[in-house]
Amino acid sequence: MNSVTPIAGDFLSLLAAHKLAPLSSSVSAAAPVQTQATTVFAFHFADGVLMAGDRRATAGNIIVTDKVDKVIEIDATTLLAIAGVPATAFEMARVLQTSFEYYRRSQLQPLSLPAKVRALARLLRENLPMTMQGVGVVVPLFAALDQSVTPAKPQIYFYDPLGAQFQATGHVASGSGSGTIRSILSFQEQHGKPKPSQMNLKDAVRFALRLLMVASEFDSATGGVNPATQTYATIKLLCPTGVEAISDEQQAEFLR
Amino acid sequence: MTEEPYRWLVAVANRREYVRDQLRGGSPAFAVSLPDGILLLGVGSGQSKVFELFDRHAMGGLGHPADIEKIRQAAIDAAHTEAFTRAPEDVSLRRLVSFGLSPQLKTNFEQIFNAPFLVELLLTEIGSEPEKDLLLRLHFDGAFQFQMGGVQVAASQRDPEIAAQNWLKEAFNGKVDRNKAAEHLLQAWWCLMENKPFGEGMPTESERQAGWRALTKGREVEMGWLARKSPRAARYEPLTMAQVGL
Repeated sequence: MNSVTPIAGDFLSLLAAHKLAPLSSSVSAAAPVQTQATTVFAFHFADGVLMAGDRRATAGNIIVTDKVDKVIEIDATTLLAIAGVPATAFEMARVLQTSFEYYRRSQLQPLSLPAKVRALARLLRENLPMTMQGVGVVVPLFAALDQSVTPAKPQIYFYDPLGAQFQATGHVASGSGSGTIRSILSFQEQHGKPKPSQMNLKDAVRFALRLLMVASEFDSATGGVNPATQTYATIKLLCPTGVEAISDEQQAEFLR
Repeated sequence: MTEEPYRWLVAVANRREYVRDQLRGGSPAFAVSLPDGILLLGVGSGQSKVFELFDRHAMGGLGHPADIEKIRQAAIDAAHTEAFTRAPEDVSLRRLVSFGLSPQLKTNFEQIFNAPFLVELLLTEIGSEPEKDLLLRLHFDGAFQFQMGGVQVAASQRDPEIAAQNWLKEAFNGKVDRNKAAEHLLQAWWCLMENKPFGEGMPTESERQAGWRALTKGREVEMGWLARKSPRAARYEPLTMAQVGL
């Protein structure tokens, strides 16, 4: 028998009852070189929210791979973009994926948007010891549908490493290449024609790909976009109907 | 009483009779494996009959709502814990039932100072092709039967259940689309509810159609669909009557 009774619909408390709580490891002083670095961003466009990320993972000055998917579909109405240490970030994504589906199936209703936003904040807070010691820092972006209004409205949130949550009105970026991206997004939102929020799908995807091209020029830890080598980004959309992925073929088509 | 084997046997037999009596008149549930997925159907009056369990798994049944809920929660807890600690691909109906649900049902049924579960259940797992679909019939005493593909019925009485299942097998012999399958299941549901025979003397098709339409008034027809191919991990979606052309 388990001594802890799980909270109804709360997957983390179910795991705790089985002594399987994630993200609870302690840190040694001799931590290995971390795999990290990224440019991820999200902005509102005419049909919803576009979330994109480069595909490079680095450890120091070593490129580990150029095939990482940093924009993750958590469920049919939720996206997560990860920046920071992938080991921790992917585990957070897995916890969220299982938690949201567990709640929906067991309680016969989807988790509300505020609860989803807080669920990620809770994971970041639980990761505080790793963050404070400089190992396992994660600074994610989050987008989900607000289904309390009709039609459902896509919303973007961002976090600090300690778990504070903020809503983004227009755009947001995270990762080592985000400084460059943020400046361009801000300029385009104030002076651009069209503004990102007015762009159609084709313009929005092309804009996102060009942002990543620029970020990779200034940040060696950001993988670029290069049609010549078939190197593209991970791009996902959050529309009132749910999550959609933009394939490499579609990206190539939009860039022509 | 427990130290006397004969009295224990009598007590268990009495419980079996008690459970069957409690389940009598319960609204049957159905599952059928089709080329594009598995269709589950039940007709409820205020309580749900068909549920999503996990990415490729669903459940239907009849019985006491609290007992159905306990089994449903246990299955969902076990499936999600398994998926998180191993992988979603490792969640299997066989293991879920053989090592989880069935022993618990049997224990509750045979420990005569515990309340037995008042349930008759159908559990399904979608495969990569219809021949790999798993339909599982789980009884209140923990007994279960596996079946690959085909059609399964969960009713309160064994003989009508088998008769309905045989009739549906015959009706689904050959290719049947989802809309026709749903309509056939509703005809079988009406026959079971009204104690109509499935062999000789079975009502005509038009009688059956008129019958289920009349009897479902004021009740909720619940349908679940496990899609064989989907871009998403979660294959289950609830269906409305309009989605199956009814």
